[in-house]
Amino acid sequence: MDYEFPENLKYTKTHEWVRIEDNTASLGITDYAQHQLGDIVYIELPEKGANLERESTASEIESVKAVGELLMPLTGKIIEVNNNLVDNPELVNSSPYDSGWILKLEYTNELEINDLLSVEDYKRIAEEEN
Amino acid sequence: MIQELKKTPFYNIHVNLGAKMVDFAGFSMPVQYDSIIKEHEAVRSKAGVFDVSHMGEFLLEGEDVVDFLQYVMINDLNLLEPSKGQYSCMCYDNGTVVDDLVYYEENPNRFRMIVNAGNVEKDYQWLNEHIGNRDVKITNLSSERSRLAFQGPKSDEYLQPLMDVDLNSVNRFYFARGNLNNTPIFIARTGYTGESGFELSFDNAFAEKIWSDLIQTGASPAGLGARDSLRLEATYSLYGHEINDSITPVEAGLFWLVKPKEGIDYIGKKILLEQKTHGTERIIVGLNLLERGIIRENFKIFKENVEIGYVTSGGYSPTLKKTIALGLIKKQYKEVGTKLEIQVRNKNLKGIVVSTPFFRNV
Repeated sequence: MDYEFPENLKYTKTHEWVRIEDNTASLGITDYAQHQLGDIVYIELPEKGANLERESTASEIESVKAVGELLMPLTGKIIEVNNNLVDNPELVNSSPYDSGWILKLEYTNELEINDLLSVEDYKRIAEEEN
Repeated sequence: MIQELKKTPFYNIHVNLGAKMVDFAGFSMPVQYDSIIKEHEAVRSKAGVFDVSHMGEFLLEGEDVVDFLQYVMINDLNLLEPSKGQYSCMCYDNGTVVDDLVYYEENPNRFRMIVNAGNVEKDYQWLNEHIGNRDVKITNLSSERSRLAFQGPKSDEYLQPLMDVDLNSVNRFYFARGNLNNTPIFIARTGYTGESGFELSFDNAFAEKIWSDLIQTGASPAGLGARDSLRLEATYSLYGHEINDSITPVEAGLFWLVKPKEGIDYIGKKILLEQKTHGTERIIVGLNLLERGIIRENFKIFKENVEIGYVTSGGYSPTLKKTIALGLIKKQYKEVGTKLEIQVRNKNLKGIVVSTPFFRNV
């Protein structure tokens, strides 16, 4: 299986990708995760301003056959959500790392970044699961 | 112990096409090749080919087949004639469903029956237990024959050039025997998608050739995911969901299947006719959501915080581009336009009872 995992991102074992920028992070689900879910038809986005703990559910992602969760990779406050996904949830399938981004957060505990996975470590996890 | 999944004669084809394979009724089956939505749309716009070889196929032979089927089936065999098929249920004494199925009359002493994959052994046993002293012999052909569904608005146009029978002469629910590119097949104008189309049965030896002939017409491979979304739009019952051994055909809205058959006794007759006349405490209705979200089977349904039923099937409709579902609810809430709530994990979404079918082209 050929999945795309950009080198410059961090990952979680629950298949989120994270792009760290100063004190914020934008994130979404990986190419592997979108492929496993299949055609995505609805995304429940979190409220802007919500403060969420690491590993709590930030968003529910419904495909034709299944439902997946986006878990917070870092504790923080939601500062932006991708409202394009309301009418175009399929962007997560077609462009998981770019126009299919899901939310942006302001993280509150910098140390948690150390727990995120490198692309090599994540690739191994995705391959094993596959 | 892990039991190895059974494979249909098309298994290698599915794997080579990169299908996502899942366990369905003990078979390794393709849920999708690429995208459920694309496969669904291919069937609605042109034609799709489905491997349905996991389903069961029985041959019933003998002097008393008609009498036997009149006893175990709720539909009326008097409406049949040679070269015609009929959809029916066989029920328990209490009216709940052993299985729903289609049988085809080749002649009064020979019927072909197609049953649900998950019920093959149960049905075979149930049928045999009820033959009594009638002259009926049942042969299970499930593993020696292959079955494909060829469904969509272009199915006639695509298939006719390959066939030596005039498909126009095969009306809905009728069947013929003919050759597809010189290969002998049984072909019925039946289906489970809400589109025109055919269901084919043939010897396993021809499986790969027929698959490739059908794909070359321009039809797309379609998996079980699209099969389910298409049948839900068309509002066809699925065993284990809308009907099962605790739901009757009348509750499932299949009251038209329950026939009076005067002078003929059949299993479940008493309670089913009573239900058909007087109604049931619960009934299956169509549902839409009044807000965004997806509802799926087993989600609970409420009216003003009182639980009134549950979702039997639900999901996203690629054709209507919204959530559709079927729910088994208390009868007093069945009217179209009734507002209710469906529990989606930790919250309730507003829903409404709507008329069915959601979508059909046949």
